[in-house]
Amino acid sequence: MSRLPAFLLGVLVVIATALPAFAQSVVQTDNVRAELLADVSAVKPGEPFWVGLRQTIRPKWHTYWKNPGESGLPTEITWTLPPGAKADPIVWPTPILFEIGGIINYGFKDESMLLVRITPPADLSGPLKLEAAANWLVCEDVCIPEEGKFELTLPSGTAATPAPPATRTLFEQARRNIPTESPWPARYGVAQSGDPTLVIDAKGLKPDTISNVYFFPAEWGPIATMVRQNATVDANGIRIPLKRGDAKTALPPLLAGTLVLTEKTADGTVKQAFDVSAKLDPAVANTTSLAGAAGSEELSLVQALLFALLGGLILNLMPCVFPVLAMKAAAFARLAGHDRAEMRRDGLAYTAGVLVSFAAMAAIVLAIRSAAGEVSWGFQFQSPIFSLLIAYLFFVVGLNLSGVFEVGNRLAGVGQGLVARGGTTGAFFTGVLAVIVATPCTAPFMAAALGFALAQPAPATVAVLLAMGLGLALPYLALSMTPALQRLMPRPGPWMDRLRQFLAFPMYASAVWMIWVLTQQTGADGVLYALGGMVLIAFAIWLLGAGSTASAGTWLRRGLAAVAVLLAFGVTLKLEDRPATAASASGSATGGVNFDGWERFSRARMAEAVAAGKPVFVDFTAAWCITCLVNERVALETAASRKAFEQAGVVKLKGDWTNRDPEITSVLKELGRAGVPLYLYWAPGAEKPKILPQVLTEAMILSELSSSEQTKR
Amino acid sequence: MSNLVVPRRSLMLGTAAAALVPAAAFAVTGPDVGKPAPAFTAVDSNGKSWSLADLKGKVVVLETTNHDCPYVRKHYNAKNMQTQQREAAAKGVVWLTVASSATGEQGYVTAQQANDLTKSRDAAPAAVLLDPKSQVARAYGATVTPHMYIIDANGVLVYKGGIDSIPSSDVADIPKAKQYVRIGLDEVLTGKPVADSSTRAYGCTLKYPKTST
Repeated sequence: MSRLPAFLLGVLVVIATALPAFAQSVVQTDNVRAELLADVSAVKPGEPFWVGLRQTIRPKWHTYWKNPGESGLPTEITWTLPPGAKADPIVWPTPILFEIGGIINYGFKDESMLLVRITPPADLSGPLKLEAAANWLVCEDVCIPEEGKFELTLPSGTAATPAPPATRTLFEQARRNIPTESPWPARYGVAQSGDPTLVIDAKGLKPDTISNVYFFPAEWGPIATMVRQNATVDANGIRIPLKRGDAKTALPPLLAGTLVLTEKTADGTVKQAFDVSAKLDPAVANTTSLAGAAGSEELSLVQALLFALLGGLILNLMPCVFPVLAMKAAAFARLAGHDRAEMRRDGLAYTAGVLVSFAAMAAIVLAIRSAAGEVSWGFQFQSPIFSLLIAYLFFVVGLNLSGVFEVGNRLAGVGQGLVARGGTTGAFFTGVLAVIVATPCTAPFMAAALGFALAQPAPATVAVLLAMGLGLALPYLALSMTPALQRLMPRPGPWMDRLRQFLAFPMYASAVWMIWVLTQQTGADGVLYALGGMVLIAFAIWLLGAGSTASAGTWLRRGLAAVAVLLAFGVTLKLEDRPATAASASGSATGGVNFDGWERFSRARMAEAVAAGKPVFVDFTAAWCITCLVNERVALETAASRKAFEQAGVVKLKGDWTNRDPEITSVLKELGRAGVPLYLYWAPGAEKPKILPQVLTEAMILSELSSSEQTKR
Repeated sequence: MSNLVVPRRSLMLGTAAAALVPAAAFAVTGPDVGKPAPAFTAVDSNGKSWSLADLKGKVVVLETTNHDCPYVRKHYNAKNMQTQQREAAAKGVVWLTVASSATGEQGYVTAQQANDLTKSRDAAPAAVLLDPKSQVARAYGATVTPHMYIIDANGVLVYKGGIDSIPSSDVADIPKAKQYVRIGLDEVLTGKPVADSSTRAYGCTLKYPKTST
């Protein structure tokens, strides 16, 4: 341990004797080597430049971020500058979270560079002398406050001279490590429990590509320092339940902090950091789910099981389960007055049937998880196919409730005989049937629930699903166990049919709403496909239901029905092929890709521009691709890059892959890519495009453009 | 698309619960001001046992300490801590210095070492509690040394946080800083609510036992 600092010290002595001018810009303490650097070697009066306090921290030791967390102190720099010169506050790099003995801190390890913008006086003549007194706390198990005095003297001239390349590289790296301004608006609200929730309105994100979401509050006080934040990501954005901090003051109107997340792209993962400033918005708390209001952080497994039980009870109200309800009610009516023991056995068997089915479902979920690793269900909410299928489902269920056809008898299929058998076996299979019949109706909800359950350890997943099953079975179980309740049961009668028919209407309404969702995803054509599909499905049902005993007729009808259904589902293929433009043009749903200053990509346009010997830059992007957005902000749409593009006469093409565009997909495939971001640059007259890295910097773009300028000359 | 999520949430209330993980078990979480202060019993450097329950009727100050921590040293070298201990004692306040560094960690002291420190630093707490398993510190959610707490005569926690308002290791900052504990004690003793009841504590990370995390 002690050899390294000694060695560094030796190096320093050498540097000190070789370069006396820079001698005081380096301070070596026991645990940190700190150096004050500038990104210029000569300054221009009045023109701002950047300096950086670079800290090389002893392995395993840490220095602290502006909000150090539960202990620790941020590095401070006090400047002594000539009159008229100005130093801005420190621009902090993205912190990391570390934990020592249960205490959580935000800070830096190994190396950090704190950037400060300095504006020299406009009337500067002669060299600019910067003096800085810095102090920092560096901790491993023990904490040591350290300090250093730095001095940097820079000559001035009529133009600023950039620093040597090695130093510029350090600055480039440091800038890359600074959070970018959030591309999305953010809000936060406070639940009744007093705990805040942060909402990032990033529409159209792909939940399965985003992980490790964490919000670092900029200040101690309003928000507690948390080991872990259970952020949820869906197509609406990111939602992070937080905990109220120790400060007893009111929550600020603006909550500032740094949001970090990891995005999985086609070429690996990219860590992103954003500066977030969230407005206090009472509406955030109102939309908090029931679970969130109950204090999502503290919810124990016991509470989770109770909620699952409740969820199961609610499943009984699902219209799909109604045919089974009716069967069950009829069975009870039959059994009424029978032996009580028989009744109890019947209830238990039914419960067993439900639980076995749910256990099977849990097994499937666990099998998927172990096979596929991390499974995410978020995708279905972006898929127009999913919307269409759900619309069909609601429609078909509605038809069933209206009495157009009987699901209970048909769906039962194999089980029907068993159910009809009556007695204990019959009751057991009625339980199984209830689950089977309930499943299609609850699929969208169940899928999401399972998605959440997937995040849990296996025993918790099984327990939660079983609790849900128990909830579904509970009313019958209670009925069969307590004769008093049985007496309260209304007699089965025509009212049951009427209620059932009434329940069809909410289903139709749901279908209408799903079609509306579909139009948001695909544009007006979605209505045509969806309603056309529904007509075909209704036709198929009619065909199958039409009574005819002639076997030839039966086969004909079955064939026609199959064709109609196939056609209805064939529509989904049509949807998949829909170009992305409809959705992104209609705007708000996806957040949209900004085409300002760019032409829409097409292979023909690219070929034409390349053939004309023009430089061509192609940006394949998507509204849900965070890395793409960041690249645009920090590299492609900066003033300097725009100017350079313009000067070089680059044809800028942008391909929007938000909703998968076959033309772009084929280009990606040719280049061996599975997704965006992808950047192509055709230098003037080049035969092949150059593929740029998926994480861009302004310097990269500028050097790429200038190098092709040079080859042109 | 936003509409999709609404029914999913409301219909799923039960099942969404599955997503919720119990709060991180090992984080240090302290009591809230305005609530009863956590009970504790600890033995001091002279072998006497102290229990918060026995101190009902008296105002109590807790001061976590680690004599090798530069921030603790700042306030002892400047005599700030000792002065406040004497002022408190004169007003009938029970000031308990709690040595909460785990056995073997920086700041861990034996009874003898604790007494020697009190002598050499001319300190004047009512007692130095030995807390080698960091139990008192954990009960109060202490994160640093010095982390300060004031408990009123009814056993309610009325202040938690730093000794003063300027988080630095520089002795020269003490006269400039707002002395939260002194002000808080005055407020408690005159029956006023503590204005700054929860402030940011600063200092060295409290040295909890390593095996416990």
